[in-house]
Amino acid sequence: MKFLVFSDSLDVSKQILSFLNGKGETRLLSPREDNSLRGYGASEIVLLKGSLTIDSVSEFILKEFAGSFDYLIIASTSLGRDIAGYISEKMNVTVAHEVFSIAFKDGKIVTKRFDLGGKVVIEEESSAKIVTVLPGISEGTPSGSNSPVRVVEIPAGKVRVVSVEPKKGKEVDLEKASIIVSVGRGLGKKEGLQQIEPFAKKIGAEIAGSRPVCLDYHWLSEDRQVGYSGRKVRPKIYLALGISGQIQHIAGMRDSKIVIAVNKDKNAPIFQECDYGIVGDLYTAVQKISSYL
Amino acid sequence: MNPCLRGIPFRFETLSKNAVEEPVRLKEKHGGKVTAILFGNYKGIQVMKEAYAMGVDEGFVITGYQEGNVALTARVLAAKISQIPHDIVLLGNQSADSMSGLLGGKISAILGLPYVSNALKLEASGQKITVESAGEAENMKVEADLPAVVSVSQEINEPRFPPVMQIIQAGRKKMNVEQAQIRVESGIKVLSRLAPKSERKKVIFDDMDKGAQEIAKVIKEVTK
Repeated sequence: MKFLVFSDSLDVSKQILSFLNGKGETRLLSPREDNSLRGYGASEIVLLKGSLTIDSVSEFILKEFAGSFDYLIIASTSLGRDIAGYISEKMNVTVAHEVFSIAFKDGKIVTKRFDLGGKVVIEEESSAKIVTVLPGISEGTPSGSNSPVRVVEIPAGKVRVVSVEPKKGKEVDLEKASIIVSVGRGLGKKEGLQQIEPFAKKIGAEIAGSRPVCLDYHWLSEDRQVGYSGRKVRPKIYLALGISGQIQHIAGMRDSKIVIAVNKDKNAPIFQECDYGIVGDLYTAVQKISSYL
Repeated sequence: MNPCLRGIPFRFETLSKNAVEEPVRLKEKHGGKVTAILFGNYKGIQVMKEAYAMGVDEGFVITGYQEGNVALTARVLAAKISQIPHDIVLLGNQSADSMSGLLGGKISAILGLPYVSNALKLEASGQKITVESAGEAENMKVEADLPAVVSVSQEINEPRFPPVMQIIQAGRKKMNVEQAQIRVESGIKVLSRLAPKSERKKVIFDDMDKGAQEIAKVIKEVTK
């Protein structure tokens, strides 16, 4: 099989390449320049430069794909989903969207995705040619390859780029953290973080938060939000402090190896999704745990 | 083993509210008319009334929605959009249920319009729009000629809570309800639809001290 991959996330590029390794020939289209991408088994890497808007990148991919590949695998990022939508209409093909599992069977594919905001897992069989893939399809293990790189200049399309600004506050890489201390509304106030930070530091953890904490109250920056609409993380330990465990949150941390929860409410759904839990005040619990370390 | 969805209330999802709020603000600034289209079922009428209360001038509720058939949704919406005069077509960047995020790209491809997505900020002047669009590693400021399709992010605005009078008036306003005329095969067969499995240990401590000791042990095991 021949796969064309598009991803503007370095991590997901590596996860997809590593997942496809051994399944066929893979060409990666990447707008991100990073030498480490070469070690994940792609037959070729095409570095995209120039006009990186939805329509211009899509038109380029349409030409690249035509007649030469079996599947177009796209990382589910904002740009990825837009491109998948555009190309699927132009090619009149089905998209298997937001999948976290893919199996190839006699010209068809069997995929799994979440639905209803993460409450349900749907397994589907389709003739889809385009697949949008959630982060975490594989661990992203290097294969020791040294893929050749070709640079392509994408011509401008209907949308004109005025300026490009790298995102601020993107210093945290939650997907790679081995321990994450995540706080929810139960924290009560932003200042509460000052009591959590030393603990996180002590155990070498990154701090993350639920949607209300990051997007509604802005106690933490947006890039630290774990959940269905935020980061999908899979640390060795995920410590949920004052997080009730709504399904949208679970969808972002479900693949964590060990989940520890502290919550005042013994009926909080997080206790159905954790390995170890304490019913009680999160500040006291953090102090206590810290004293036994 | 299908999830039971009977009787549950339908909700006007946040991103769709953002997508309604933005053109209402543009109308307040530049004048014009805001038309809303909802593809769903009859329960959508209630949601459309909320959109009216927020400032939508005319609404179309189209019935015949099929779960998981994004191509159908895109074509039904695009067909309706092409019957209505428009400068800007707005939608949320991802729905709250399936979150496919494919609709904007599909609609722009069908209509042949420029498409700007994940908008943090939108300005319209003359025959063009300027949009700040959030990407994976960078934000882009882009321009496009009208008409154009724009998908909005949740950060673009704070949707208004309409005053009571507007809610009452919205209930009396005429609404267009019609049946979708387009058929599209989804090309997808559902094999199973189940609650996600949880194989967690679920060892819960009411005793803070005991729990803290046990959890400290687990953390030490991983960090050693």
